[in-house]
Amino acid sequence: MTRVEPLVRLTGELQKLPGIGAKSAQRLAFHLLKQPRGEADQLCEAIRDVKERVVYCSVCSNITDCDPCFYCTDAGRDRRLLCVVEDPHNVAAIEKTGDFKGAYHVLMGALSPLKGVGPDDLRIAGLLRRVGGGEVTEVILATNPNVEGEATAIYLAKLLKPLGVRVSRIAMGVPVGSDLEYADEITMLKAMEGRREM
Amino acid sequence: MSRGGAAHFALAMPVLTTDALILRTYHLGEADRIVVFLTPGRGKKRGVANGARSPRSRRFAGGLEPLTAVRLAYYEREHRDLVRLRYVEPVRSPMSARDGGRLGYVEYFAEILDECAQEAEPNAPLFRLGSAVGALLAGEIPIARLARYFEYWVLRLQGVYPSLNVCGRCGRRPERGGRIDAAGGGFRCGACAGDRGLPLSAEAVRFLRDAAATPPDALAQVGLPPRADQELDRAHGRLLAMHLEKELRAARVLRAMARTSPGATSS
Repeated sequence: MTRVEPLVRLTGELQKLPGIGAKSAQRLAFHLLKQPRGEADQLCEAIRDVKERVVYCSVCSNITDCDPCFYCTDAGRDRRLLCVVEDPHNVAAIEKTGDFKGAYHVLMGALSPLKGVGPDDLRIAGLLRRVGGGEVTEVILATNPNVEGEATAIYLAKLLKPLGVRVSRIAMGVPVGSDLEYADEITMLKAMEGRREM
Repeated sequence: MSRGGAAHFALAMPVLTTDALILRTYHLGEADRIVVFLTPGRGKKRGVANGARSPRSRRFAGGLEPLTAVRLAYYEREHRDLVRLRYVEPVRSPMSARDGGRLGYVEYFAEILDECAQEAEPNAPLFRLGSAVGALLAGEIPIARLARYFEYWVLRLQGVYPSLNVCGRCGRRPERGGRIDAAGGGFRCGACAGDRGLPLSAEAVRFLRDAAATPPDALAQVGLPPRADQELDRAHGRLLAMHLEKELRAARVLRAMARTSPGATSS
C-alpha cells in the first residue's frame, strides 16, 4: 500500500463506490495518476456536472438535466399512456425496447415494510395529480416482479382505479431464450396466469 | 489461499440441506445477496448467495423473497458467521397469493419472525408458525384474522402473552373481557383494571381463547368481529413494541398504507 497521501485519499474515495474493493480502488488510482492532466480534469468536471446539473423532473420525477425532462416534453409521445416504474434506470430499460412511446412516472422506490418505506416516501401524490388531470387513459404498473413491487402495484391500482383510468400490470414469466425445464415454480405460475390468447 | 485451494476447502466442508423460511435479503456488492433465513433445527442463519441478483441466477431465482418456504443447501466455514448458500429451491412463495392485497403483510410477518428468532438457536415452533402462516397467505382466511392469530402465537411463544383465563389481580374468570397492560400488569378484569392498559372486549378474549386451541389450518372457523380486531391490533402492537423494545417498521408502513388507501392491505 502506498503512503503517498493524495493517492491514499483518492483510493479511499474510489473505494466508496459500489462494487469497488481495496485492490480495484488502488488500481484505478494508479491508472488516473498515469493519465494526462487533461483526462483527470475531464473526469472531475464530469462528476461535478452530474452533481450540479442533474435534477429530478418536476413532472415525472425521472432524472434529467433540463426540467421538464425529454420524455415529458417530447411531442411524439402518447401522453394518454403512463408507465409507472420504481427507479430512473427502469426507464432506460424500457426505452431500450424502442417500443413504448408513452410517458413515464418514477416512484423513486417501492413500498417496503421491512425497510420502513411507506407511501409518503414515494412520489405517489404527483402520480395521482397527473392521472387526475384527465389526459391519461391507461396506467401501466411496471414495478419489479417481487413482493415489494407487487405490493406497490396493488396499492397503486386501488388508488388509481377510482380515477376512471385503465390500470394494467406488466407481464411476468419465463425469460426469452431460456428453457422451461429450468424455470422455478413461481415463475411458471406467473407465466401461466399471464398467458394470452393466440 | 488460491482459487483452487478455496474451492477444495469449500468442497471439504459438509453441505447441510434443510427446509427454511426466507426472512429478508440485503444487497452485497454488485451481484450478491446476504440472505437471512429461519431453519427448524438450527435457528436463524445468515448466508451469502453469490450471483443472486443476476436475472440469470438459476440457483436462487424466485426463492429469495420474504416468507418464501424453501429447500436450501449451505455450508458453514470455521470462524465465519456468514454461511455460503449453494442453492435455494422455492417450495411455496407468497407471490402465489391470489389476493395481492395480502402481500403488504408478507414483510410484516417476516420482520416479526426476524426480530423474535435468535441466531443459531433452534426454535421449531416459531418455524412451524411462520411456515403455516406463509401457507395460509395464499388461502381465503381474512388477512386481519391471520395477522392477529400470528401475533398472538408469536407473543405466546416468546412467553409474553399473559394468561386470559383469570384476572391477574382477583383470580376470577373475566367473563366480560378486561384490560391488558403491556407494561407488565398482565390481564385484569374490568373491575380490577380501572383505566390502566388497553381494553379487550369479551369477543376479543373469545378469539384469543379459540386461537389458543385452534391449529392454523382451522382458523377459518374462528370468528373475529371488527371491533375485536381493532382492540387486538392495538394491544398486540403495544406488546410487541414492549417486548422488542422498538416499534416494528413494517407495522408503521402498514398503518400508513391503510390510512392512505383503505383496503389496499386487507381483504
